[in-house]
Amino acid sequence: MKCKVCKAEAVVGLPSHNTAFCAVCYDKFFMKQVSEGIRKKKLLEADDRVLVALSGGKDSLGLMYALAELGYDVTGLHIDLGISDSSRKARAVVEDFCKDRGYALKVVELEKEGVPMPLIKKHINRPICSVCGKFKRHYFNKVALEDGYTALATGHNLDDEVARLFANTLRWDQAYLSDQGPVLPAENGFAKKVKPLYRVSEFESANFSFLKGIPYHHLPCPYSKGASFTGHKMIWRNQEIRSPGSKRAFYGGFLERGQPAFAAIHEKKKDYEVKPCTKCNCPTSVGVCGVCRVREQLADSLMASNE
Amino acid sequence: MIIVRLEPEDKIDTYPKLNTVQQLLNKYDLFYTDALVIRDGELLTQDRKLNDGDEITLRKVISVG
Repeated sequence: MKCKVCKAEAVVGLPSHNTAFCAVCYDKFFMKQVSEGIRKKKLLEADDRVLVALSGGKDSLGLMYALAELGYDVTGLHIDLGISDSSRKARAVVEDFCKDRGYALKVVELEKEGVPMPLIKKHINRPICSVCGKFKRHYFNKVALEDGYTALATGHNLDDEVARLFANTLRWDQAYLSDQGPVLPAENGFAKKVKPLYRVSEFESANFSFLKGIPYHHLPCPYSKGASFTGHKMIWRNQEIRSPGSKRAFYGGFLERGQPAFAAIHEKKKDYEVKPCTKCNCPTSVGVCGVCRVREQLADSLMASNE
Repeated sequence: MIIVRLEPEDKIDTYPKLNTVQQLLNKYDLFYTDALVIRDGELLTQDRKLNDGDEITLRKVISVG
């Protein structure tokens, strides 16, 4: 297979784009996907201070590298979930990556915050992925606002966004469908959130990180087995094989025609107000925020079990 | 003999003969956008030939959390 641009031996074939690239031309293709995505949806300004959420996986580390290459002022933020071996490995990958490349890094340790995920899993009877996501979003936003960052970037790729859109559509969740997209503006105590990899697939992201020599963490989270999100990705994987380009069309069409319609409907129905949490001051629409409620449940459970 | 290291399973398989990357992917019911196929630090597309003695890493790309 030859590179469609320069006719050298290809290293990546992309059926969704009906093309193939050598390593040099693939780098240009990928960086253009990211920069065009940022430009078209106005994700970032040139002077934004960007906090990049780094899990240690291919997407977040590749995103950090790409944004730095594009000239953005980036700092990494890693949340150490406290899941023994898994979290130690992920954190080491992130710390080594940032040290090697000269990127600034902040780390929040959930163990020190009193909420390591193994403790939450043991005491809170809710899906652990949901609670973990809640804590991660909480600390991403808190650090971004408290330390003066103007944007929070996450490594969600096209497959992540399609799986999430599919899940929201299966539930016809108007609230989530009204604001799903690659950018959420800063408002009501929330930092601006952006997903600059929304145009690239998981496969494209993996190829990019590999070709850039980024030694990413590729072991799955030990708690994620059986997550519905993975099942949705497999449905779309099969659809994409039958009809290359389906994911891009589904998500692109939603952003263009679906999301604005849901936003208009939801705006009329909105019957809540976002205010600071009465305990931690983080924004919430229900008085005490979800993170503080989990903390209360955990404290009650620990007291009951005398731990 | 071709040695295949599967990631993230961290499992090693061996095959007496495989002609192409596509044949290797078929062994695992994988489409070529499901995994990176790596030989000596180089990515291989599905049409590339495999040789006796090759050590291949097959790294699946779907992230789950």
